[in-house]
Amino acid sequence: MLEYMIAVLIVSAFLMLTIRKDFIAIAAIIISFIMVAVIFLQGQITIVRYGDWMPPFGIVWVVDKLNAFIGLIIAGMCSLVAIYSIKYIRHRKHRFYTLLCLMTAGLLGVCLTGDIFNMYVFFEILSISSYGLVAFFLDEHAIEGAFKYLVMGSLGSSFLLLGIALIYGMTGTLNMADIALFASGSSHSPYLIFAVFLVICGFGLKAAIVPFHAWKPDAIEGTPISLGALFATASSAIGVYGIMRVLFIFGLLQLNFVLIGLGIITMLTGALLALVQTNVKRMLAYSSISQMGYVIMAIGLGTTAGLVSGLYHILNNALITGLLFMAIGCVVYITGKEELDEMGINNTPLLICIGIGVLSMAGIPPFNGFVSKWLIFMASWEISPLLTIIAVAASAITLAYGLKIFSSIFFSSRKLEGRIPKTMLIPVIILTLLCVLIGFFPQLGLNMVEPASSALLNQNQYITAVLGGG
Amino acid sequence: MLETFFTGAVLAVIGIYCVVVKKNLLKKLIGLGVFTNCIHLLFISIGYRNGGMAPIVTPENMGFIASYAVDPIPQALVLTSIVIQLSVTALGLSIAILAFRHNKTLDTDKMNKIRG
Repeated sequence: MLEYMIAVLIVSAFLMLTIRKDFIAIAAIIISFIMVAVIFLQGQITIVRYGDWMPPFGIVWVVDKLNAFIGLIIAGMCSLVAIYSIKYIRHRKHRFYTLLCLMTAGLLGVCLTGDIFNMYVFFEILSISSYGLVAFFLDEHAIEGAFKYLVMGSLGSSFLLLGIALIYGMTGTLNMADIALFASGSSHSPYLIFAVFLVICGFGLKAAIVPFHAWKPDAIEGTPISLGALFATASSAIGVYGIMRVLFIFGLLQLNFVLIGLGIITMLTGALLALVQTNVKRMLAYSSISQMGYVIMAIGLGTTAGLVSGLYHILNNALITGLLFMAIGCVVYITGKEELDEMGINNTPLLICIGIGVLSMAGIPPFNGFVSKWLIFMASWEISPLLTIIAVAASAITLAYGLKIFSSIFFSSRKLEGRIPKTMLIPVIILTLLCVLIGFFPQLGLNMVEPASSALLNQNQYITAVLGGG
Repeated sequence: MLETFFTGAVLAVIGIYCVVVKKNLLKKLIGLGVFTNCIHLLFISIGYRNGGMAPIVTPENMGFIASYAVDPIPQALVLTSIVIQLSVTALGLSIAILAFRHNKTLDTDKMNKIRG
């Protein structure tokens, strides 16, 4: 079943160009979401062998708990964005959906593959379609953002390729399980650490960790806001997933001060820069960078609690940032302005959604942001209380700029009335309900996250499933 | 072997320098091409064997080909990567054309957002 998913997405991408009916693309993306959800619910390691080559030869796709979880987030966000964009995008819609299908295919391919070069190919499908999507509006902002993203993104994927070349030179195989078997039997040479560092640079650029974050605000400022939601949630999730997977392959998931340091810098820089923005898209982009900082720090802790909280925060970042982008997209749809002081709107349900999003982003109970942030604080307290204090401070800054967004919409002197199409309102309401639901019943999220983190810690199970089970 | 790695390192430095320092959009794209090609060169050299033969398996050489042939996998991977690089460059050039239409210049200093 899994092997047809990418085929459906890519075929429908090209059908869109000739037939130009939006429902083909939307149906394809929702079908892929259903497929991933079915595999997620099956709950065992699924292996797809292309061309019936036995691993380690040939290309395999391996779906364990971790990438099923990440895939579910990605496919869910992609389907919501596809539904949301029906009314939001007004011109050249078929091209938008073509690129969106390709981007979904790239995201899911990176997520589900078990072959390290296959991962690079899907990473490039993802990157090239995102460059196209950033340039979608073809105005000055879009073109400049797209060029900046293209140059930085290509440098990042070149680093990824270099890392893969070095790993291949060392191990002589491209299969992740086989590499893991090799790495578990030998000590970590500096050569190997350098290769892992290069791969982390490549994925870190996608996740917009701070030394590599400069593309993200410019790219998101240029895109349609619904795609901003995808860049801030799914792209970041895939970047972090890649980092986790590489550390997992080489058995390096342990206390890692480099990742903790990067996480703290990302968290603080993102939050402080978000505070001074006047354009709402840029502000949300910096906010998503800051949220990713928490995830990176939690992964760097290397404990089970750290991994659980990090994965939980990926889920919550997808819900919250997606909600804020889409809700503010509705405001921009009515007012047509993106500057914070021109966004007054008179629509109570939307304001409630934005309010819930803002409170949840800042980690105020009883919403979902509180759950994962609390878990991160607890996990970091075990390592060093200093980390917790920094994380709480960043959280306070988050509340400050969140309230800035909320007040600029709510207390604006000039309020516009307007009708919001149902297809835009439904994704916003779904995300709001999920935020509240996970906030009140944190066990729901934990039931998804804990198997994922135990899969991440159980390397031997992965190796035997791929190489031994046939 | 050593000279390939040395050449690769020099090309990598030239490529990254060109991307980071040069102000012209086209020169940045050329730098990207140089950098990616240096990685291709390194990748090929990983599978290279001095005096090796083409990895074509026939009934006669089945037994001993593995100890004489060059490794074909890096070559296949580099071919894939060249195609990817081609499409990235094409997209980059078309975006550069659009940027030129908007700004009437290719100099990043005279544009609003692209710096460095």
